[in-house]
Amino acid sequence: MLYKAVMIGGSAGSFQVVTKILASLPKNYPLPVFLCLHRLKHVRSGFVEALSIKAQLPVEEPNDKDHIKAGKIYLAPANYHMYIELGNKISLSTEEPINHSRPSIDLSFISAAYTYKNKMVGIILSGANKDGAYGLKKVKDSGGLTIVQDPKECQVKTMTTASMKLTQVDHVFSTNQIIDFLLKLN
Amino acid sequence: MVSLQDISKLIATIKSVSRYDFEDYSEKSFQRRVEKILMDNRINVTALIEKIKTNKDFLEKVVKDITVNTTELFRDPEIWTTLKHRILPRYKNNKSIFIWHSGCSSGQEVYSMLILLNEMGLFDKAKVFATDLNTDMLELAKKGVFRYRFNLGYFDNFDKVLRENPYNFEEKIDVPYSKYFDIDKAKDSITMKQFLRDKPIYRKHDLVNDKNIFYSKFDIIFCRNVIIYFNNKLQNKIIELFSNNLYKDGYLVLGAHESILGPVANSFERTKGLYKKKSF
Ligand SMILES: C[S@@+](CC[C@H](N)C(=O)[O-])C[C@H]1O[C@@H](n2cnc3c(N)ncnc32)[C@H](O)[C@@H]1O
Repeated sequence: MLYKAVMIGGSAGSFQVVTKILASLPKNYPLPVFLCLHRLKHVRSGFVEALSIKAQLPVEEPNDKDHIKAGKIYLAPANYHMYIELGNKISLSTEEPINHSRPSIDLSFISAAYTYKNKMVGIILSGANKDGAYGLKKVKDSGGLTIVQDPKECQVKTMTTASMKLTQVDHVFSTNQIIDFLLKLN
Repeated sequence: MVSLQDISKLIATIKSVSRYDFEDYSEKSFQRRVEKILMDNRINVTALIEKIKTNKDFLEKVVKDITVNTTELFRDPEIWTTLKHRILPRYKNNKSIFIWHSGCSSGQEVYSMLILLNEMGLFDKAKVFATDLNTDMLELAKKGVFRYRFNLGYFDNFDKVLRENPYNFEEKIDVPYSKYFDIDKAKDSITMKQFLRDKPIYRKHDLVNDKNIFYSKFDIIFCRNVIIYFNNKLQNKIIELFSNNLYKDGYLVLGAHESILGPVANSFERTKGLYKKKSF
């Protein structure tokens, strides 16, 4: 198989897009899917539950050192940074927020790029700050495939345009194209 | 990015000139801390390693900078609510309660527990010990002065834990902040009351090297958001240490996203987000 993991970054505003993507991924999807999403302050819980309603795959906020399994959706827990370690494990950290963000999309992407090299797909969705742009660059530099949601589709374009400025991304896709692409990895 | 090779060299160097051993720390966060240290000191790895060999004070500072010290008052309010309504009432008839906060950082967790103990009428029975590797943090904990504006979240947490009762929504409890700390907005400070500050015994303790340094077992051990910085092997060793130093039916309180993964998990029963030491 070409790829070993998919990682998606976005902010609270991309909730609906994320839901749509998750809803279309079938049971037995062959890859793990990592989500690193900024949350609104004070809305710390309920995210997993809301995503689970639509998703066919199990969605969870992982514990530290959990083993990564294909066909699971891992949502970075509120107030933790989520790293992908060598040895197929997740680790968490409570280090200070970066770019006002914890979880930081950059940190998750950087660690995933380091671990999966050219065997990952990185996707940046609509979002309100630059977090994620540098991480996506690292994915590209390590040979991974990079996708950005078409800014035309995004209510808030900061995250996607910043990513496109920093990186010659492989694809600029609409939500539906992202879904088609992910299904073809199946 | 610093290469894993350089990280190994750095860890070996620190080990050769001191007791500190970072070999079993989680790779990614350790790597990230080292990068931060390099940036903050405008220095490269090779120079860092050389300076550590010759400059003891610098080494101590680097070790402190490696540790992640973020903490909050009543971090994860749900767990404190559980402690308050479901766990602490069990100690009503005990003569004493021995508590250890391991990896207490600047003390917010310790003050949270002291406040709960006081609300539950258990304050005088409690023997409270708190430890950390980072002695700068222990000094901050002893002082008990925290920033106000940066920490407004503390008040939301306080309200949730002390002024609400999720087991009985009708009940509204009025616990004034001034019972436990003084707020000075001009000085941007929250200062814990003297009687809280006087209670705990603070000691430097290294979870990698040291065993139980107190001549007692414990009823409750807190070790929250500390073992996330360690690999499985070290995590298991430390949980084993805690298991051996808890009274039966004692509780281990881990962070919201930590769990026990090794065989030592069999010594505990997971209830309400806490780990209870089994009694056999
Ligand atoms: C993120 S803080 C946790 C503070 C508090 N328990 C909480 O959950 O809010 C982690 C603490 O673990 C301490 N620590 C790191 N390595 C340690 C070691 N080997 N022994 C003891 N403490 C250590 C750090 O100095 C830091 O203060």
